[in-house]
Amino acid sequence: MAIGACVTMGLIQLRVGLRCTPGGAHLLFALNAFVVAVYSCFELALACADSPAQYLGLLRWLDITAGLQVVTTAAFVWVFFGTGRKGLALLAPGLSCLALVADLMPQPKLVYLQLTGIRKLPTFGGATYTVADGVENPWNALFYLGVLLLVVFVADASITLWRRGARRRAAVIGGAITFFVLAGGTQAALVDNGIMRTPYLLSFAYLAILVAMGLELSDDALRASQLERDLHEAEHRLALATDAANLGIWIRDLVRNEIWADDKWRAMLGFATSERIDLDCYLQKLHPEDRAAVSQTLAKALNGKGGYETEYRVALPDGQTRWIASRGHVEFNGGGKPILVRGVSVDITNRKQAEQDLTHRRNEVAHLARVTTLGEISGSLAHELNQPLGAILTNTDSIEMHLQSPSPDLTEVRAILADIRRDDLRASEIIHGMRAFLRRKELDLQPLEVAHLAEAVVKLVSSDAATRKTTVGLELPPDLPHVRGDRIHLQQILVNLLVNGMDAMGTCPVADRRITIRAAQVDPHIVEITVSDAGVGIPPGELNRLFTPFHTTKQGGLGLGLAICRSLVEAHGGTISLQNNPQRGTTARFTLAVFPEDRT
Amino acid sequence: MTRTPSIKPTVFVVDDDTSMRRALSRLLTLAGYSVQAFSSGPELLAQHQASNRGCVIADLRMPPMNGLELQAALARSGNPLPVIFLTAHGDIPTSVHAMKGGAEDFLTKPVQKEKLLGAVDRALAKDAATLDQDHRRRELQRQFDLLTPREREVLGLVIAGKLNKEIATKLGTAEGTIKVHRASIMEKLSVHSPAELGRITQELDSLSRGV
Repeated sequence: MAIGACVTMGLIQLRVGLRCTPGGAHLLFALNAFVVAVYSCFELALACADSPAQYLGLLRWLDITAGLQVVTTAAFVWVFFGTGRKGLALLAPGLSCLALVADLMPQPKLVYLQLTGIRKLPTFGGATYTVADGVENPWNALFYLGVLLLVVFVADASITLWRRGARRRAAVIGGAITFFVLAGGTQAALVDNGIMRTPYLLSFAYLAILVAMGLELSDDALRASQLERDLHEAEHRLALATDAANLGIWIRDLVRNEIWADDKWRAMLGFATSERIDLDCYLQKLHPEDRAAVSQTLAKALNGKGGYETEYRVALPDGQTRWIASRGHVEFNGGGKPILVRGVSVDITNRKQAEQDLTHRRNEVAHLARVTTLGEISGSLAHELNQPLGAILTNTDSIEMHLQSPSPDLTEVRAILADIRRDDLRASEIIHGMRAFLRRKELDLQPLEVAHLAEAVVKLVSSDAATRKTTVGLELPPDLPHVRGDRIHLQQILVNLLVNGMDAMGTCPVADRRITIRAAQVDPHIVEITVSDAGVGIPPGELNRLFTPFHTTKQGGLGLGLAICRSLVEAHGGTISLQNNPQRGTTARFTLAVFPEDRT
Repeated sequence: MTRTPSIKPTVFVVDDDTSMRRALSRLLTLAGYSVQAFSSGPELLAQHQASNRGCVIADLRMPPMNGLELQAALARSGNPLPVIFLTAHGDIPTSVHAMKGGAEDFLTKPVQKEKLLGAVDRALAKDAATLDQDHRRRELQRQFDLLTPREREVLGLVIAGKLNKEIATKLGTAEGTIKVHRASIMEKLSVHSPAELGRITQELDSLSRGV
């Protein structure tokens, strides 16, 4: 019965041990169980031995399996506990095996120096068992010393394990081994020296130990299966989460140069489900313009801290573009060499599209507003343009008249031609400025000189200002740093503010009609530009509402000017505000970032 | 029509744009006009005299006095020369305003030579006509001034269509006396028939009213 139990337990754990990694404990348990089974066989056979020679032969094998038992037990505890004193772990089986040398003689001598005879003693129910009489070999003590050391080793390892918190395992296995090895060993020792007249019953002690070990191991298996269920559940939850968040998961194996990715990620990038992916074919899927930047980011992450975030476009076969945001984390081996990158990617096409739409719309509205603004000052512009054109036409007529005369005054004709050329250049300059102002364009942030900007704007509105009898003054400090901005958009803001100022001063005495543009560096990173008029001012309740689109205090006004100004200033990362001056009029102020290289 | 030969008509060009001003002066001079150029309204007004004859070509948008203001100032000066507006950007309200103010013409830059010279000729003719009418009015006035109070009384009744007899009864004198008065009136006014008498009386009346 005990043999059957041992073999069964051994087979189960053998199977488990072969399938699991690490399966050392299970394999050692299986070995242990088989050894116990074999030992039990010998024990049984010994109890039925009919002659002293047979008895001695069986006893030799019994000793050897007992020695193996000590070895496998020590090994099991060593592996399963993962602790214990190495010296003891080696010394205990070592001593026992050393003792076994006595059994390797032609005549086994470990237990008995001299076997004097065997007897058969009756047991319950009429069955008999064999016991031996003889002179015990003192060498035998060495074997028991090994067993005792095994107990010490196990007890010591158990205490360590107990302290580490695995109390149940320490108590069950440590306790079982300590108790049953001591009990079984004592019984065997008593049989050896003839005090106890019974068969060896060590197999029962071992069986008990095996049961204890098996319980703990199977507990491990149970826990493993629970873990597996938990893992499965976690995977399921993760799948739900990644699905909901539209996340694709990937792992890049740097050693094998291979990228593992889930189906979602593959679909996102346009890979087939079973296609092998490496870095090159991944980069091939990217938009050509983004390839260099992405591979640079990846390389930097491998050499640096290991975390990175990037956004790139994927060129889909149907010509569409998909935006992907990726976040990766590099794992390094002990030597600091990157071995693995784990990460997630998400399709952000919709967000990007919305962002682009928004930018596009803002630019459209700004453009529309520029057209409107230009419409407001178009009288001035047409005047500006028709002056040179008028002069050119009139001069051409003059030349014609000169040439009709019999002796044309060529010196005068040359002088007129020079005038025509100059007026022509003047006209094209005006058209160039107007076209630049009206061009539909994306925000293009460049280093700009505030003085140039302000002078260009003053020129643009000069004719209008002259008609409205308004003086536009500039008060700019000479050492102002460059600002970061879009020339056209900043011109638009200033033209708008100037036109507003002139509108506000329409009813003022001519002598008071003055607008001043000022600029100052308010901190190392910010330049503030102000446009002050001496007009009627703004009712306090209107000050902030004026930035609301379609809110206007002007007759015939669209109510877009200041709303556009704000949107443009904010696109530059600045702020804009209006306030009434202490005496009279209004000051509009907006901030711009200092161009990075000019920061002081 | 007769012109006063002593005063040559001049085209006064007023434009703040140097280039335009020079081009206009050049062309008009080549076309045979006498030209004077000014960069602003006040500059022209500073040398404006009652004896100036000719016309003004003015830009509409000029600092510090725009074309319409210049036109009004000229009108106040007592010698309202005809004004041609030459603008780089003219809208309808401005042109209406200018024409109501008595503008001779409203041209936009760039302007064709023929249009410009045509407008200048018309303006000069108008100025000359104004001058001739002025002379005629003064001549008639001088002739009328020769009439005695009694003769004026008789003239009024003759124009009203009364017969000599009725006039004599009304004035309490003899019919023969009235005949003498009529002959004297017709001689002083250099007319030969009662119908002609009515016409020049009307002419003086209309010239005096400035129509």
